[in-house]
Amino acid sequence: MTAGAPLPPEPNKAAFDAHLTRRIFRYLRPYLALVVGAVLLSLAFSGIQPLFGLIQRYAIDNALTPFVNGVTTDREPLLRTLTTAALTYMGLKVLEFAVQYGSIITIGYLGQNVLRDIRADVFTKIQRLHLAFFDQNPVGRLITRVTSDVDAINQFLTGGLVSLIQSAFLIVAYAVIMLSVDWRLGLVSFSVLPFMYFASNYFRGHLRDSFRNNRFQQAVVNSKLNENITGMTTVQLFGRERRMALDFDHANRALLTANENSVKWFSLFMPVMAVLGQIGIALVLYFAASRLLGQDAAAVTGVTVGTLVAFIGWTTNLFQPIQDLADVFNNLQAAMASSERIFEVLDTEEKITDKPGAATLDPFEGRVTFDGVWFAYDQDVTADTPDSDDRWILRGIDLDIRPGESVALVGATGAGKTSVTALVSRFYDVQRGAVRVDGHDVRDLQQHDLRRHVGVVLQDVFLFAGTIESNLTLNNPGISHERVVEACKYVGVHDYIVSLPDGYQTEVRERGATLSTGQKQLLAFARALIQNPDILLVLDEATSNVDTETELRIQAALLKVMQGRTSIIIAHRLSTIEHCDRIVVMRRGLIVEQGSHRALLDRGGYYARLHRLQYAQGDAAD
Amino acid sequence: MDSLRTLWPYLRLHRRQYLIGLVAVVIANSVNLLPWYFIRLTIDGVTGQTDADAATAGITASQVGLYALGIVAASATAGLFMLIMRRMIVIASRQTEYEVRRDIFHHLQGLDKPYYDRARTGDLMNRLTGDLGAVREMLGFGAWQIVNIVSGFATAFAVMFSLSWQLTLIVLALLPIIVGLLTYMARQINRRHTHVQEQNSLIAAKAQENFSGARVVKGYATEDREIGDYRAMNLELLRRNISLIKVDGPLRSVMNLLLGLAFGVILLVGGRLILNGDGTFTIGMFTQFVGTLERLAFPMLMVGWITGITQRGLSSWLRLRELFDARALVRDERGRANPGIQTLRGDVEFDGVTVRYGERTVLEDVSLSVPAGTFLGVTGPTGSGKTVLGQLLTRSMDPTSGVVRVDGHDVRTIPLRTLRDHISVVPQEPFLFSDSIANNIGFGLGNRDLPEVPTGVSVVGAPPLPDIPQNPDMDRVRNAARLAGLAGDVEDFPQGYDTVLGERGVTLSGGQRQRTAIARAIVRDPAILILDDSLSAVDTETERRILDGLREVARGRTVILIGHRISTLRHADQIVVLDGGRLIEQGTHDDLVAAGGHYAEIERLQRLASDLDADDEPIRDAEVAADALEHQPMPQEAVK
Repeated sequence: MTAGAPLPPEPNKAAFDAHLTRRIFRYLRPYLALVVGAVLLSLAFSGIQPLFGLIQRYAIDNALTPFVNGVTTDREPLLRTLTTAALTYMGLKVLEFAVQYGSIITIGYLGQNVLRDIRADVFTKIQRLHLAFFDQNPVGRLITRVTSDVDAINQFLTGGLVSLIQSAFLIVAYAVIMLSVDWRLGLVSFSVLPFMYFASNYFRGHLRDSFRNNRFQQAVVNSKLNENITGMTTVQLFGRERRMALDFDHANRALLTANENSVKWFSLFMPVMAVLGQIGIALVLYFAASRLLGQDAAAVTGVTVGTLVAFIGWTTNLFQPIQDLADVFNNLQAAMASSERIFEVLDTEEKITDKPGAATLDPFEGRVTFDGVWFAYDQDVTADTPDSDDRWILRGIDLDIRPGESVALVGATGAGKTSVTALVSRFYDVQRGAVRVDGHDVRDLQQHDLRRHVGVVLQDVFLFAGTIESNLTLNNPGISHERVVEACKYVGVHDYIVSLPDGYQTEVRERGATLSTGQKQLLAFARALIQNPDILLVLDEATSNVDTETELRIQAALLKVMQGRTSIIIAHRLSTIEHCDRIVVMRRGLIVEQGSHRALLDRGGYYARLHRLQYAQGDAAD
Repeated sequence: MDSLRTLWPYLRLHRRQYLIGLVAVVIANSVNLLPWYFIRLTIDGVTGQTDADAATAGITASQVGLYALGIVAASATAGLFMLIMRRMIVIASRQTEYEVRRDIFHHLQGLDKPYYDRARTGDLMNRLTGDLGAVREMLGFGAWQIVNIVSGFATAFAVMFSLSWQLTLIVLALLPIIVGLLTYMARQINRRHTHVQEQNSLIAAKAQENFSGARVVKGYATEDREIGDYRAMNLELLRRNISLIKVDGPLRSVMNLLLGLAFGVILLVGGRLILNGDGTFTIGMFTQFVGTLERLAFPMLMVGWITGITQRGLSSWLRLRELFDARALVRDERGRANPGIQTLRGDVEFDGVTVRYGERTVLEDVSLSVPAGTFLGVTGPTGSGKTVLGQLLTRSMDPTSGVVRVDGHDVRTIPLRTLRDHISVVPQEPFLFSDSIANNIGFGLGNRDLPEVPTGVSVVGAPPLPDIPQNPDMDRVRNAARLAGLAGDVEDFPQGYDTVLGERGVTLSGGQRQRTAIARAIVRDPAILILDDSLSAVDTETERRILDGLREVARGRTVILIGHRISTLRHADQIVVLDGGRLIEQGTHDDLVAAGGHYAEIERLQRLASDLDADDEPIRDAEVAADALEHQPMPQEAVK
């Protein structure tokens, strides 16, 4: 059978890492009362558990055996003893239930609170991280941190710590009572426990491996399914159905094999544990009965029929904590890997932070100055990296934009236009030189305050789940509906929104799949306008995918939005940007020329060539 | 019941496994009761209660030894049969899962574009994962649990009844309360579990959105609001989890409590029976009775779950059946498709073609003739039906009325495979696969003569299919990449053409994706090449080079270029303009500009927008500028 994709190796982790454990424990500190409560309830539960065997023993030895053996024939006191025993038993059961329920709720409440704290910490931390972090970490990986990795910590707490404590208490309680009732029988019944522990440990180790393999193969099958369904029409147009079917069958078979393998381990595991358990019971039965038969009087050895029955019960009840204990270290190990990943996120250095005493700008004028800016996305590039290095994206940009001026950035893909806009919002820090707003280095300003003054219209308009209105206000309750409507009317998207079934309250589905590119673009302008920024950054390459009429509408909206603000605009289509006060032409991280549209055309330089190429290339090519 | 009937063909493939497995469950359940019987014999022997002389023991140590061995032997036998059961039934259910998945995949491959336009990927995925899992659980776990419950109860009650009918009646009276309470709890757990799951997906979706929208969140400085929202959802998750824990956590302790109370009652009543002194009920029997009752704990717990598992399994199977029942409208119809048609030259003709989606008319009475080798430009506003023209040619859909012909044959008479082998499409938003760049470009190469995955058969004994690597002809792949203006980009990747795309590999920019799709289309040397607005994400410098490349391959082929930019369309031999599904203009660029219609208007708008004076610069200089640009090295795509 063909194996599917190979299983990635599991990081070889020590089962127990004191440092990590201490960090997890720190999350328990706010709930110390719950921790103490949980431990006490656990203790109480462990103390009650073995008592049931004692009551059974008492009932059999004091109410039933004397009559059967003919020692007592007076049934009245025996019946009374029996009733007392039965009622005590039932009362104790109710108490046991209450204690156990209390302990489950306490532990659940504790665990869920700790999870909630960890989840909130990770999410909050990620919010504070610099944009480059998101460039380096795929979204899927970050989601795993706040979902399954947090769940694994839950496993650490409940499957690991709690069951360690609970199992240990139970084993001690049973051991004490069994040894004190009859130490020889106690030892006999313990004899099977080490085997049980090791067998359980062995099988669960294998099961864990094979379940991990199952999950992996299932993920392979799912991603192939997803890809095939999404790209089915492409597959059909290129006549590739059979190859895809073969490829899928290999993954499907690998999943089947993995599943069969776990069934095989599991089918061995359960019977082996059951047989080991019954061997324990058979041993207790044999030794207890032999001693009952060997001596003629029960009083000599202390072994009674009641003791025999109680020991069968106790031995059976010991199996579960022993098996749980065998699994504790597996659970801890799995949780260690996850908690390490979570703490790695929590420990990530926040590269872009506010300096102590970072200033806010009031009033905010909107002057933007690039002062000899050298910049690279690559974190390894420093101020000392030679100028000739390929990784530099901006290579010494000097640019001064007056408040209210509109500037268009022009240049081929990779010229550094997007980087210029990203630096104004301080999404990244420059390696050399400085970016200044109103004469202040952006590194000396409060990030939040700076960004509140800077509006961004993104190339790929990102719509969140929610209504159209909540996407426009970005859930800011401080923005009135009137302001939203006003902005939408201004950019010319109001009529369209009103035509939707629920108007402004229409739900945006699947990232706005039902909206056209042009409509999304207009919404993005409205969103920027509503935030009323002093500096506007527009990345509008997406306008290239709409028809001429819509493009003209977008241009009209853009002109309106730009009015009275410092604007920096990136566009493919030269026509979009001819209306700007100044055009800055960039090439490979440098400004090659700047000036008004007219002046640049007259100069006949790079811009003029780009411009002519677009509109005259038909003639040029023939 | 109907869903069971349709499931039968799959069950039949493994009926032997299910049958053996179910018999094994019954045997295992019966044998499992023997250990308590041996314990009873020992106790009764020790007490001497069943003996003639109650004061002496009625049993020897060697007999006890035999009983002890009997316990071990019985549990070993039961264990063996449980092992057989799992390896039969549970494995059969996994095999059925494989077979259903395989067959659905095959069926999905035959469904057409109209189906996929309606279907949502998420929904299909849910059916193929969640629903298939529910069916498997019903067939595997569900099947043996039902038999387990029935045979477990039957054997246990038979034994208990033979021990004491009075006590058995007490248990029978308590049973509905126990089972009823547990079933109620199981239902509550199910409901609350769903609530937790819903909140879990909400919170995951929130995180997903926040992380992918990091630029917006940071750009508008809304981090604190996002954190606030997240915390609120987090708190709700905590509430729902605790509400689940309240019923899920104590399930076992409730079971334990109920059995404990039952034990108390049995001790009271059973004790009296023993104290009756007639010897019909012994301490050993009492012990066996209680032990046997305890064996029912698990089956009792399962009663509550089993109805849920079965209901979920059956309704999930119905949802899977819906996939099987979906039929493709576009397919090779028997007696209509003519297998004799094997090559196509590329003459295209639309004859009175109308397409309607329900009320909406997408194309209306379009007639158009495109001789082989023609470069046809198609333009018109968004939603005018441009894309549909291409889709009709590849038979991604069939017209409502009228005929589409290639080389004079109605496309419905051309076998789909032949038709699609001769046509390549570059869609507006190309879909690339997470595979190497070479395999993505050679996507349509070497797919003939592959073995078919057999469907509707049992996987048991079916040999695995051979692994046939794709290995596309690299000369053709490189040439296509060169023509599509992609070669430079690919050579810059460390792994070149072996670079893997997608989640686990490299993410291409929009322009690179479009160029990969162009390479993928032209590598097949198609008779007809359809480019559907496929240069939109490519910058001006690159667009030029691609158009030159296309002109090189286009010789002798029919090219249909759909687009908005006049600069791209003007080279076409023939241009058609669509508006609202009607063909409103047709001719060469010069004809149409001269005609002063819609096309001329678009041309004028684009020219006006350029704000370029016609006599600003002589044309000769533009040629020089263009040449200069062409000889400059391409800048690398920005690393984002």
